[in-house]
Amino acid sequence: MPYITLPEGLPGIRGPMAFRPETAKPLNELVEVLLRGPGTLTPGERELIATYVSSQNDCFFCQSIHGAVAAYHLGGNEKLVADVKRNYQGAEVSSKLKALLAIAGKVQLSGKQVKVEDIARARQEGATDLEIHDTVLIAAAFCMYNRYVDGLATWQPDDPEMYRARGAKTAQEGYGKTP
Amino acid sequence: MNSNEPKMKPMFLPEVEDNSQPGGRGDMIRMMRDSGKEYPQIWHLFAFRPQATDRLGGFTQEIMRGDCPLSPGLRELIAAFTSAGNHCPF
Repeated sequence: MPYITLPEGLPGIRGPMAFRPETAKPLNELVEVLLRGPGTLTPGERELIATYVSSQNDCFFCQSIHGAVAAYHLGGNEKLVADVKRNYQGAEVSSKLKALLAIAGKVQLSGKQVKVEDIARARQEGATDLEIHDTVLIAAAFCMYNRYVDGLATWQPDDPEMYRARGAKTAQEGYGKTP
Repeated sequence: MNSNEPKMKPMFLPEVEDNSQPGGRGDMIRMMRDSGKEYPQIWHLFAFRPQATDRLGGFTQEIMRGDCPLSPGLRELIAAFTSAGNHCPF
């Protein structure tokens, strides 16, 4: 039960976004730029970073929906998404993505936890400054989205089919197209 | 490099520091550097990825100054209080 009266029937972030469309617009445009805009990390990799941070923040809605979007981009590989959330070091992702996930995980704890060694390791694995920059911004932005979703106690259904269907739609159409 | 350039700690990502995109944000950085003054390095983040910055700016403007019964002063206090809790002096 949400703490404030939100439009009914809209799960997770979609409730407060419909409640306050003025702030929803730039928030949706930001996530579109970060996860789908021009960049050398694939949308699947970027969704994995968002999913991992959301799971570290224990945000059920965000990890479920972005996990579903990630899986869609990754050819329906839901196991890989689950592996990244559980233990990304043992997951079948590139060592570059592992180094970026390590940075994202530190941003989730506190920006100050990111040390020069973490950056050096990511560079060593071939990450560019733009990829490191975007990883930090994705992680920071998702801490905001996660807190927005849970700070208002939004309705978060647990039907995986709902997330699968919405995730596929979002992966095809992008963010902020339908409320 | 300008001899006046302020001695500031380098950022983690030199490419972010050296690649201000065209526009007012990069101009501000150049102006401060040329006059030997220090400036907050968040400016480099703003200047590096304008598509993201524009959205963050639009969001900040709406949430801090948009139509809402909380006064802008009170909203800034909430932002400052949260930033203090996050140990972010800037």
